[in-house]
This record gives sequence, C-alpha cells and structure tokens, in this order.
Amino acid sequence: MGWLARALAGPILWSALFVLIYALHGAGCNLGWTDHPVLFTDLHHAAMWAVWLAGLALHVVLVVILPTGTGRARRVIVAGSWIGLVASTFTLFPVIATSTCF
Amino acid sequence: MTDASLTSGQRETTADALADIAANPPQRALGLHRELDRVWADLPGWRGFFTSVNHGTIGLRFMATAFVFFAIGGVLAMLIRAQLATRNGAFLDNDLYNQIFTMHGSIMMFLFAIPLLEGLALWLLPKILGARDMAFPRLSALGYFCYLFGGTVIVLSLLFGVAPDGGWFMYVPLTDKTYSPGINADVWLLGVTFVEISAMAAAVEITVTILRCRAADMPLTRMPLMGWYLLGTSVMMLVGFPPLILGSILLEVQRAFDWPFFDVARGGSPMLWQHLFWLFGHPEVYIIFLPAAGALSTIIPVLSRTPILGYGALVAAVIGLVFLSFGLWVHHMFTVGIPHMALAFFSAASALVAVPTAVQVFAWIGTMWEGRVQFRLPMLYIIGFFATFVMGGLTGVMLAMVPFNWQAHDTHFVVAHLHYVLIGGFVFPMLAAVSYWMPLICGRWRVRGLGEAAFWLIFIGFHGTFFIMHLTGLLGMPRRVGVYPGNPEWEWLNLISSIFGMIQSAGFALFAFDLFMQWMFGRRSWRNPWQAPSLEWAMPMPAPSYNFASLPGPRQPDAGAMLPLARGEGLLPGAPRGWRETLVVEPGSGRPQHVAVLASNTALPVATSAAIGSFFAMMLAGLYWLAPLGILATLVVAWKWGAIMGTDRDHAPVDVAPGLQLPLHWQVRNTLGYTGVVALLVADATLYGSLLFGVGFLTVVAPNWPAPASGIATWPMLVMSGGALALMALGALAAWAAEARRATGGALWTRIGLLSSAGALLLLGGIAFGLDDPTRHARDALRGATLGFAVVHGVIALMLALRADADARSGRIGAQRRGAIPPWQLFQLFWLGTSAASMALILAQEVL
Repeated sequence: MGWLARALAGPILWSALFVLIYALHGAGCNLGWTDHPVLFTDLHHAAMWAVWLAGLALHVVLVVILPTGTGRARRVIVAGSWIGLVASTFTLFPVIATSTCF
Repeated sequence: MTDASLTSGQRETTADALADIAANPPQRALGLHRELDRVWADLPGWRGFFTSVNHGTIGLRFMATAFVFFAIGGVLAMLIRAQLATRNGAFLDNDLYNQIFTMHGSIMMFLFAIPLLEGLALWLLPKILGARDMAFPRLSALGYFCYLFGGTVIVLSLLFGVAPDGGWFMYVPLTDKTYSPGINADVWLLGVTFVEISAMAAAVEITVTILRCRAADMPLTRMPLMGWYLLGTSVMMLVGFPPLILGSILLEVQRAFDWPFFDVARGGSPMLWQHLFWLFGHPEVYIIFLPAAGALSTIIPVLSRTPILGYGALVAAVIGLVFLSFGLWVHHMFTVGIPHMALAFFSAASALVAVPTAVQVFAWIGTMWEGRVQFRLPMLYIIGFFATFVMGGLTGVMLAMVPFNWQAHDTHFVVAHLHYVLIGGFVFPMLAAVSYWMPLICGRWRVRGLGEAAFWLIFIGFHGTFFIMHLTGLLGMPRRVGVYPGNPEWEWLNLISSIFGMIQSAGFALFAFDLFMQWMFGRRSWRNPWQAPSLEWAMPMPAPSYNFASLPGPRQPDAGAMLPLARGEGLLPGAPRGWRETLVVEPGSGRPQHVAVLASNTALPVATSAAIGSFFAMMLAGLYWLAPLGILATLVVAWKWGAIMGTDRDHAPVDVAPGLQLPLHWQVRNTLGYTGVVALLVADATLYGSLLFGVGFLTVVAPNWPAPASGIATWPMLVMSGGALALMALGALAAWAAEARRATGGALWTRIGLLSSAGALLLLGGIAFGLDDPTRHARDALRGATLGFAVVHGVIALMLALRADADARSGRIGAQRRGAIPPWQLFQLFWLGTSAASMALILAQEVL
C-alpha cells in the first residue's frame, strides 16, 4: 500500500491545492482582499500566488523524492507525481492570468 | 492461446513465489464440484430469489434489471422524439412532457447506467481476480433490493402522473415546495437516495474486493486492468455520491420542514444545490465511463491477438482521470455569474481531462495497430465506440471553452455532446462487453447475423439522431422545450432526428432479441471461445456458482490453468468445512493473509431493504411522525446481521496449500469488514466535508448574511456540548481498552463504552432543544443538520458498542477474537472527530 500512496501523492496534493486556492478565492472576494495592497499587487493575488507557488515547489520535491522500486511500479509512481505537477501548473495558472472577483 | 502476457495484467511467476506456494495434490474434479455446489448454490425457486447472496446471481440480476429500465427510458426517449418531430407537437402536454424528459434522464443515469456497471462489476470481478465471491455477499443482495424497490417506485410514479418533472438535475427554486408543491420532486429525492444505497454498497464492496480478494501473489501492478478501472470507479463512487446524498437530504428537509438551505431570503442559495449536485454529477459521468473503458482494455488486446500497449500508462491515465474529474464540476455552471478566475480554473481542468482520456484512446489504437484485429461482434461495437466517443470528447473540449459554452449552454448542442459521450463511451462498450462475456454467462454461442444487424441499426440510428442535434443546438434550440412554434428552421432537423431515433430503437430491440435467442436457443459454446488468457475463462461455461474449484495462485496464473484448478491443485480446494471460503490477501503485494468465511443464503438483505424502504415510503407519504418507526425497523433487522457474524470459539488454521496454513477471519484484526468500514468512513467523511462546504459557501456567497443574533451561546449549551464530547472520548478510550483487555473478555470496557455513548447521545438530544429555530435562517438550519449528522453517527456508534458488549458477554471475544470491537473503534473515533469539528465551527461562528 506504500507504493499506492506514493503513486497517489501527487494527485492528492493537487486536490488539496485546488480546494485551498478555490476557497481562498471565494473567501478573499468576500473579505475584500483586493482592496488591500501588498507590494506590487493586492492581498488576494498575493495569497493565491503564495499558495500556488509553494504547492508547485512541493510538487517538484515529490517528483524528485517519491520514485522508488523498478519497472512498472516505479513508472506509475513517476507518472503520478508528474500528473500532480502538471495538473497544479495548468489548472491553477489562472491565479496569475485573470482578474479575481469579477 | 493462453499467453499470460495477452491479458491486461501480466502475471509473472517468480521462483520465490513458486517456492512459497506449492500445488495441492489433484483430486476428482466432479467430486470437488459437487462438494462446492452443495455449499455455494442458490436455493431453488422463489426462495432462491429472496435469499441468494451469490455474486453471479446478483450481478446478472442487476444487469437484467438495468436493461429493463433501459427499455423504459428508451420508450420515454421515443415519446420525446415523437413530440419534437414537429414544432407544434400535440402529442404530449407541457406537464407530461416535463415528467417524461425528467424521467428519461433520471432513469438512464440512476436506474440503468450505474446499476449496469455495478452488475458487471459484481458478476465479473471475483472471476478475473481469482476469488469465489465479492467481499460482502449480503451487501450485494441488499444493494439489489434497494435498487429494485426504489427504481420501481420511481417508475410507478409515471403511471400515477406524479413523476419528477424538474429536470434530471432538479434545480432549486423550481423544485422547492413553492414551485413544485406536489410529491413529484419528493419521488426523485427519496427514490434516488434509496437507490443510491445500492451504489454506496457496491462502491464499498468493489473497493474492498479489489484490494483484498485477489489471487495469491497477484500484486496491484500485475492485476488485470479491469481491476484498476473498477477500483478507480469505486473510489470515485465513495467520494462522488455523498454530495448528492447530502443535497437530496437537505432539499427534502427544506421541502418537508421548511429549513431554508436554498432559500435566498433566509440566507440560503440555489447555487448550493448546483454545487452539491454537480460535485456528484461530473464524477458520475466518469464513474459511468471508467468500467466501460476497463471492458475496452480487456477486450481489445484479446481481439487484436496482442498484449495491451502501455499497461503502466493506462494505470496512470486512470489515476489522472479519477482525480481530475473532481475538479471539473463548475463547467456545468459557467453561466451562473461566477468570477472569471473561477471560470478559468474549471475551464483549464475540463480541457486537461482530455489528456488522460486521449492516452487511453491512443493506447487502444496502438494495441490494435500492433496486432491482428478480428472483426467479431464485440469489435464492431468497439469501432463504434471510437467513432462516437472521440467526437463526443471533442465537443466536450469545445464546451470547456467558456465563451463557446456561453453560447451553447442549455441548447441541444449539449444534449448531442452528452449522448455522444454516454452512448459512445458507455453503451457501445457495454454492448461489446455483454457480447463478449455472454458465452460465459449462459454457456451458449449466439445466432449469427442478428447481432451484426443490431449493431448497424444502432450505429446508423444513433448518429442520425444525435449528430443533427449539434446543428439544432447551434441554431439556438434550447433544452427541455416541448414545442418551438416560432422556429420553423428547426423542424426538419428534428424530424430527421426522430426518424433516426426510431431506427436506433429498432436496433436496441434487435440486440435484446439476439441476447434472448442466444440464451434460449444458442448452441453450446466451446471452451474459451475468444482464446482469452484471463482467469474468468479458467472455469466451466456457464460459470459455476463458486467460480473456481481451487483458487488460482502463482502456479495457475491464467486461463490455461482450467484443468489443474478444477482438479483442486490451486489454493483452498473444495469446501471441506461446509463453508463459503475465499482467500484474503495483503492489498499491495497480494500475499495471502487469511481465509474469510462468507455469508450463505439469507433473507436478511431483502428484509433490511424492506425496512429501509418503509422509512422512505413514510417520508414520501408525508407521514413524518411515523418515519422513525422505519428507522427502528431498520435497526432491528440490522442488529441481526451482526448477531450471526461472530463465533464463540477459536478455530484451527486452515490448510490452504502444502506448507501454507492461514487463520480464519474471526481470529484476525484486519478483516474484510474492517477494510469495508474504512471505505465507508471515506464516503462518510466526504458527506461531512460537503456539509462543511455548505456552511462555508453560504457564509461567503449567500446574501442575507450575517444571520440574526443567536441564542445558543449559553452556559448550559456549552456544558452539554463539552460533556457530550467528553463522553464520546471516553467511549473511544473504552473501545481501545476493550480490545487491549480482550483476553479477559473486555466486558467491563464494552459496558463503559456503551453507557458513555448513550450518555453522549442524550446530551446531543438536550442540545437540540437549545438550538435556534432552524426555519429562521440557513445558518440555523445548517446547525440543525450538523447536529442531525452527529445524532445519526451516535446511533451507529451506540449500536456497534451494543454489539461489542453482546459479543463480550456471549464469549465471542477472546485472546484471538475481537468481535465487533474494531469497527466500533473506528466509528467512535469518527463520531468524536466530526462532533469536535462541528462544535469548533459553531463556536467560531459565535465568537467571530
């Protein structure tokens, strides 16, 4: 079962990131975070970028440290960790690409 | 050909595995068959119908019943096409038309697609995994009767003119009491929830069977691909159905008791229903697709005479699909007015999900390219799948693009898309699967020609019907309209769709006739007619009730081992103790762990289903004050399930193979039941998470927040809440201590646990009286729902504590036997954890 946990760790991290960022998006709009400037942006964008980038960094760590074993078992772990990284990169890149609350 | 590499799961026998598990000495095959048949056969006649728990019988019943509902849904589709054939169709009035299209969608999704895949999984899984039955035979039967009773009530409502009429996704406020005052919506809410008990039962069972009931030394990385697809499906069901169940409960409570979960004026939101529904609704379509894809991964290599290309890539694609499909649901809500960033998240995820789907399609095409394709009947349906599903997938990517979606939403373009992916992606592969496995089901070969004619009628009829709908949709024809007097430009297109719809129906009727002819008059089939390598063909045809006379191991890895298995050379030959025994393995590696003794014929499932049905019937009839009697009846019958499960003495280990002795499940902690409870709690946690989502969503998004001042922040309420949590914690400690002290019986601790849980429940009852009026505001209604969740789980924990106490006092607990203690521990902890979280949430609401 440890093997299965390694194979699923990447997608599970994506799920957690997706839920967290979607929740942050909703909460931030409700709490008016776009009205609070932070450096060159606002609190809403800064919070989502921070979570997204931290998540991507964690994904990279998983891609590097998770693979173990040989043959098919190893390939599935590698695939799982890359699925998580690609999914988090592509599905959550709107945090840097679109407006937030309208 | 029995090349093990042809199977979608390559079975490699290692020297170590061979050295570990020796073959049993051969016996007379007929003697073994008679011994097993005495133990595993169903009772004759009507007694057999009501008492069978055998996976083969139940699986076939699910499939047959699903096809009956398919026929009903198909007739409804023809009524729709008759109405839409002309723009001022007078065939159906508006009210009846609303009921018919709602029922068409609901029957197809809930009473055909899910039960058909459940049936195929129940019938097929033990055979391809090398087991004798599913993990929980009685649960299979319970699921069937809940499906049969619930489905019958839903369909009967049509005959009485009170069928659901709010669309298959039942949006509020249309389905609220204000705009749907009759019982139509209640039929859907209660009927579908009743049927979903069957889906949850199947989900738990399929998960546990795949993880624990495989052939000896069959690791996950070597199991048939169908196992991976069904594991993905069952896990998706565990996580995907609870949001719908919660939503249905909330809407029914709003309709019955006016708790305003979805009423904007009192802090609710119709968007909450949409989120809860589509959180289920999108994974639902992948739940429907995955088993069909599993059938394709099984059949294509066999009919291409070559191993599947890319086993690892397909496993990765399944993993990707299982997870990504939970990130798409808002693409059904692109037009509700949510911000651009949220639109973009779901648009990106909806586009990305095409990648794992494409990986599978290319793997299948590559397999066919590598091999020598045999254009037998199943392959015709597979070609039909490719042509149809890929087109549906492409229109899906189009719909994932928000600007296009805004034009096509709620038009017939979406109707075309969904039929292309569902019929192309599910029905065609299922027809291939039925054609493929029919010889194993009935032992007969089909009448030549009928099936091919049926295929062409279905294929041509389907495309003629639904391709046109892309055009009518792009021309602006909305969904769910029965007449379109102002749009003559749609009329000839609809007429063509309707004509081809009749052709398609004729095709399906001919397919059913072909099956009937094969079943009744087909000539005896020869062994392994497809020359497939997988284990389900390593048995006589039709398949016997027990599947294998002895269970496959590393020395009997594929269909070529039929004779050695029949002679008892595999593991656990025969039924020497007169019990229904199967092997239980470690989930990852497949190492044998113990022998499970499974349930035999019993009327408990039908009795339990009737008891549950009585609760739903009383709710439907509006007899709310009587409904608790149905719950009581269910608890009484459920008690009996546990009462016949234990044993009051230790049993000697069982000889499974030379040099391999394994304990029986009564003397093991990590039983199938324990794994099943873990799986069930995953689903339960998802339901609780959906409830928390509801709280968060309404707090942040719904208008008319904050709620009016609350009157619950009093010392008595705080003391009762803290006291209840403390008693729940004491119960959890007692459950742990009961196991630790089991050698001396553990009776003191089971009694402490029982009393503390009862006390906690009483305090929860007291808290109920201190809550604000739940009809006042959505926040108060959600607090009521949260308390209800705690009470329900308290009752379950109490029942398990009572069971453990009864076990302790009747000698069923000992040094090697734990009785009901392990599941009690799990539920007690879950109850404590969720109650503590609820209390923290309510405290936060009061303080912040």
